Amino acid sequence: MKLFHKSADEAALPEEPKSREDAPSDVSRRQFVTGAVGAAGAGLLLGQSAVPAWAGGTPAIDTPATPWPATFDVAGTAPPSPPREMPKAGDVIHKFEMEVTIGTHEILPGVKAHMFLYNGTYPGPEIRVTEGDWVQVDLKNSSPENHTIHWHGVMLANEMDGVPFGTQWPVFTKQNYRYLFRAQPAGTHFYHCHVMTTLHQQAGLVGSLIIEAKDDLVKKTFPYTREYTQLISEIDTNWARQSLNEMVGMGMSMNAMNGDSKLMSEMNGRMMGWFQDKGSFLKAIKDGYIPAYTTPKVGMNQVITPNFFMINGKSFPMTDPIMIKTGENIRVRLIGGGMQPHFLHLHGHDFWHVCQDGAPLASPLRLNTIPVFPGTTSDIIIQGTNPGSWHFHDHSDLSTTNNGIHPGGMMTMLMYEDAEEHGVKFKDAIQTNS
Amino acid sequence: MRTLLTRTAMPAFALAALGFAGLHPNAALAQTQQVPIPEEPSTAPQIEILGTGVATLDLGRSRNAVPGGGRASGSQINLSDTSLLVGAAQRLYKGGIGSLSVGGLALDQTNTGRGTQIFLHQAFADYQDQKLEAYIGRTDQPTAQIVTFPTLRGDDLVTFTNLLNPFSNGENVNEHRYSNVAAVTLNQKLTTFENFHVQHLIESADTSRGPSVGTGLNSYGVSVQHLGLPGLEAVEKYISYGVGYEHRSVGRAEGGSSDALYAGGVVNLKPSLVNLVDLRVLDNYTFGSNLSSFHDTSDTFRANSNSVTAAVRYLHSPFGKPAYQVSLTAGYKSYSKVSKAGSVGIALTGVKRLGEGFDVVAQYLYQHRDDALSSAYGGAREENAVQLGFVFNFDTIFNRTIGPRRSLLNLQHKYIPD
Repeated sequence: MKLFHKSADEAALPEEPKSREDAPSDVSRRQFVTGAVGAAGAGLLLGQSAVPAWAGGTPAIDTPATPWPATFDVAGTAPPSPPREMPKAGDVIHKFEMEVTIGTHEILPGVKAHMFLYNGTYPGPEIRVTEGDWVQVDLKNSSPENHTIHWHGVMLANEMDGVPFGTQWPVFTKQNYRYLFRAQPAGTHFYHCHVMTTLHQQAGLVGSLIIEAKDDLVKKTFPYTREYTQLISEIDTNWARQSLNEMVGMGMSMNAMNGDSKLMSEMNGRMMGWFQDKGSFLKAIKDGYIPAYTTPKVGMNQVITPNFFMINGKSFPMTDPIMIKTGENIRVRLIGGGMQPHFLHLHGHDFWHVCQDGAPLASPLRLNTIPVFPGTTSDIIIQGTNPGSWHFHDHSDLSTTNNGIHPGGMMTMLMYEDAEEHGVKFKDAIQTNS
Repeated sequence: MRTLLTRTAMPAFALAALGFAGLHPNAALAQTQQVPIPEEPSTAPQIEILGTGVATLDLGRSRNAVPGGGRASGSQINLSDTSLLVGAAQRLYKGGIGSLSVGGLALDQTNTGRGTQIFLHQAFADYQDQKLEAYIGRTDQPTAQIVTFPTLRGDDLVTFTNLLNPFSNGENVNEHRYSNVAAVTLNQKLTTFENFHVQHLIESADTSRGPSVGTGLNSYGVSVQHLGLPGLEAVEKYISYGVGYEHRSVGRAEGGSSDALYAGGVVNLKPSLVNLVDLRVLDNYTFGSNLSSFHDTSDTFRANSNSVTAAVRYLHSPFGKPAYQVSLTAGYKSYSKVSKAGSVGIALTGVKRLGEGFDVVAQYLYQHRDDALSSAYGGAREENAVQLGFVFNFDTIFNRTIGPRRSLLNLQHKYIPD
């Protein structure tokens, strides 16, 4: 896997952004309080010790003075800094290289797919910077198709928004494009290719972008040391395979034309479905162009039907668990990086929904199931209050399948590292369907 | 695999009805074909249905065109080469793919009220993985897979474009195109293919021992083929070519064994999105037969010969999509041991696309046979035909779970069977 080439002034950035334990440990963890009575009988009925460890009461979480509710600011949606500014002397610029290639990705043992990859991984590598710093990303296209990077949720200069034919020309094969923007606003965001998004994002070109607040309301309220990013997505491997093949063929044709002036002279926007404006589009139709979406061209098109549902590119049981300890707060950043809504439910716990699309909510919401819609991000705080090994999964149960077979898909486990200390005995087993 | 289709054809409600009536549901399965390991009908294979409808009004056919001297009509409504093909394919445990294809094809004799109107041209089971493919059953002759020509029908100018079946009596032209085959094809990077095969070429000709009834292997051979990248013909120099050798075990009384060498290829002369021009060339050379004269049409398939066929095709695609095509296909054939047996064939073919897969077509066919050859064809020296009609092609895939083996992704990146 090719990683970022980081500039020297980024050396202080965390190295393992998806499971961070390097933040200052400002949590004082209190062990659970024992002494609950009345459950002994139940324990006997279950054939366990007279007072089972799990009957010892609910572990407590420290309750620091909370700065919530967040201040309501009627002008709060304005960019913190002017988006069209350029870096000034002394500003921190984090420099990254991002290369798009075609490779294979294993969703599960026995299930591989050809995909577009940012720096060889799916999802693409996480970018994590501090609010107000500058981000410079050099995109290099080493695939036969065109690409961009759209910085989803970032308030940046229009030219940096990554919309092909909208804010920039798409980046063609062997071309480079430099994105430069100030990291703002703080929060959980993501990035994705905006060329034929239905395919390119589904087929791999998506990753998380975390802009850490200098003064983090969430961390102040729920002191935590570990956090997890969970980019959730889905893929129709059959549709993606077919479409990717078609796009690669088209891309290779375009690349061949680029190297041949004679062929280039034949190519025009009509062939690619590109038009300058509505007028030229209508004129082309008058001249005989038949849009690809019309019935004579497409008939009954194949509907996209996702068959694999993923967390960070993997389906259960190959998803990574979320680790927690009793008394600990953890932050989970959920990113709707796919095309379908998902409803993530955590067993045995309520959690706090603290941020939406990066911004703190006016007041945290107590939930046990949170909807994550495409293009949205939701930050939640899980508190270590109930030792065990708990399912965390999409409750739209189509998504807890692998190719239609349950269990699988968008599911992981919240696992207490100290569960056994609290009398919970479970086997670290995985389940698939025979 | 046979049960795969028959079980698929048995709707679930039908099975349920049998159970309700007191019959064990497996009673229905008992009516299907025997298989070594009966299976639950739970895995839905990928199903592909391909159809080609070719309907033309033919004018000016030679009245003596029927081999053997029968008189043919001077005009007809021609449905031949119309076909329907059904395929089922399934991923196997270790990455291979198993498939079954079955299809029928309308014959030229469809209107005559005699003979078989539908010819089973495809019925084979196939195994393939990245390294090899093996197939057994009725399908295209391996010798007919090097080059295909842009004529209206696959049997147009067949005496030039195909290695002819020395066991055919000539009444069914598809006996030159299809046979019963067992083949293994190895490949290197899915670009170069070596096909090793044995065949039963369909035997319909009378022999010195009487009418043929044989079903045994009567032909074997090997071919090597190189294929360019798919889908890039319009923009890159695309060359596809192949060579092959075939041995046909013709009885001594019928001239003895006939061997064949064949070679051909396709090259695009003018890569262009809008104005594509390509050239196809094929040479079929047969040797080893002792025949020095023709007693009937079958002898013309056995005698040593050399045929050269070439076609130039122009495809106009103003928006990158085909709009019309014009092609000229010409063939010349001579016999090394039979004098005055040369022949020339020409097909001028025009196709205008009206919609996806639906074309209006026009073709002029001309064929000249020298005296010795025309005698074997009932005296038909000259044949002229004008054909006007429609062609409809479709290829629909259900339960799409298997990608093309030679996809660009598989060819240029890591091979993934699905």
